[in-house]
Amino acid sequence: MSALLEVEDVVRTFGGVRAVDGASFGVERNSITALIGPNGAGKSTLFAIIAGSLRPDTGKVLFDEHRIDRKSAYRVARAGVVRTYQSARVLTRMTVLENLLLASFGHPGERLTGIALRPRAARERDRVLHRQARELLALVGLESYEREYAGTLSGGQRKLLDLVRVLMLRPSLVLLDEPMAGVSPTLRVQLLEHILAMRRDRGITFLIVEHDLDFVMQAADRVVVMNQGRVLAAGSPDEIRANEDVVDAYLGKRH
Amino acid sequence: MNVLASGSFWAFVAVVAGIYTILALGLQLQFGFAGLLNFGQVAFMAIGAYTMAILVVKEGWSMWLAAPLGVIAAGVGGALLGVTTLRLRADYFAIVTIVFSEIIRYVATNENNLTGGSQGTIALGKVGTASQYNGEWASFQTRVQHALGFSSSDATMLVLVWGVAIVLLTLTWLAVRTPWGRVLRSIRDDEDAAASLGKNVLAYKLQALALGAALGGVAGLFYAWEFSFFSPTDFEPLLTFFAWMILLLGGVGRVFAVPVGALVFGLIFAGTRFLNFAPFSWFASDERAYLRLIIIGAIILLLVVLRPQGLLGKKREMVLE
Repeated sequence: MSALLEVEDVVRTFGGVRAVDGASFGVERNSITALIGPNGAGKSTLFAIIAGSLRPDTGKVLFDEHRIDRKSAYRVARAGVVRTYQSARVLTRMTVLENLLLASFGHPGERLTGIALRPRAARERDRVLHRQARELLALVGLESYEREYAGTLSGGQRKLLDLVRVLMLRPSLVLLDEPMAGVSPTLRVQLLEHILAMRRDRGITFLIVEHDLDFVMQAADRVVVMNQGRVLAAGSPDEIRANEDVVDAYLGKRH
Repeated sequence: MNVLASGSFWAFVAVVAGIYTILALGLQLQFGFAGLLNFGQVAFMAIGAYTMAILVVKEGWSMWLAAPLGVIAAGVGGALLGVTTLRLRADYFAIVTIVFSEIIRYVATNENNLTGGSQGTIALGKVGTASQYNGEWASFQTRVQHALGFSSSDATMLVLVWGVAIVLLTLTWLAVRTPWGRVLRSIRDDEDAAASLGKNVLAYKLQALALGAALGGVAGLFYAWEFSFFSPTDFEPLLTFFAWMILLLGGVGRVFAVPVGALVFGLIFAGTRFLNFAPFSWFASDERAYLRLIIIGAIILLLVVLRPQGLLGKKREMVLE
């Protein structure tokens, strides 16, 4: 069986800068794959391309053997590839509960025609969503905040809300953008546990951009290293740790 | 000062406030819920009014068919504007909307054969005849007046405008409470996040724009019926900004803040008309007209400083990041 996500020869330039310069790698099913590399290596650009918010100049992105590189972000999400942002992008002027209720595809009540023609289906769907949302809030200990504006949550609470909001969508592949940035040691353990549980219990595959190498070595079963828009190396954490090219890229040639 | 005691004057103020309510309700849907900065709302009012008047006078249509078509034309106009410009960033979109409204007004001024040009609707028909689009409406209003047992046609218009306004307010209020409205608010908050939750952001923005524009069209119809005549100068950008003032006065993101804002604005706007004592009497009456705008501007400024969320707005939503 082929990899769940395949990135093939993706190139993306901004003006004269080749931010991504022919990158290729795969993300295996049910793996936690980390995408690492020094600043400016092209990780974020590649992330945006996979998530559908940027188009590649050339190259392909295949998810479950179907091309997604020409789809807009919302279609990529509906196909099962859901991303988070570095700073948890919760909807601050909506309640915690509403943040989760939004995370659903094909809700009849989200269409004016559905409201008018299928009001019962719309209500029923919302009831199911309420139940799921409350379960997930309880999972991360946010149940007492359901009526608060998400903007009143702390940074750590927002990260947790962001994570369970992704779960609401029942994704196959989750793209996490620096989940450990600005996270306290306690929350770090909590987030790691949630990620491992999501893979174990729900069969979710993860692709994670992360600068925190301790976390990467601890959590990932595969590491892809980017440098100057290309994939420099890919392998298990141990292989990557032993790879001299990677050490050079991070610390400079004559370290 | 006996105008102040006249019932028909205050009925007129209330009718205009009702028309403004419908106009500003469109902005509330677009900005208060979907976050779209539309500075060209008056254009949709013009499209609604002109479509109705042209179909009645030139094509001989019944007003009862022409009026809904005016509303649809305004909605389609909003959708067309959106399809071509919604990909722009918020502030550029805002600039394009004001340009759009000026284009509509210039077309109305210059396309004499279609709109009657700068002479207005009176020149819609054959040269030398004073055209009227209002016959059917006037007889309908008279029938309603008899049915209600009213003595004044102003009071009848008041009931009709506010009846329609209340229906539209209620429908909007119901719509924004649904999951559909929830998606609109998510787009207002963070459209990238909404897209990553699988929401077709452009489709929702188009719907908000088209529906808000259609509400502008309804306001245009009532404007046309109330005044029995209009010309391109009735649709200057100032009217859009009056609607914005109403929105800010009442409060952003609350449907029933709109009529409150419109009534307060109407009272201030009409009330400042009577500033004919010293020191205001030192100015000529045409200068005082500008003084009114200055005073209204000052009141809005005070409001923004002292109560930024408007009379009924949600303060917490102003401070969250």
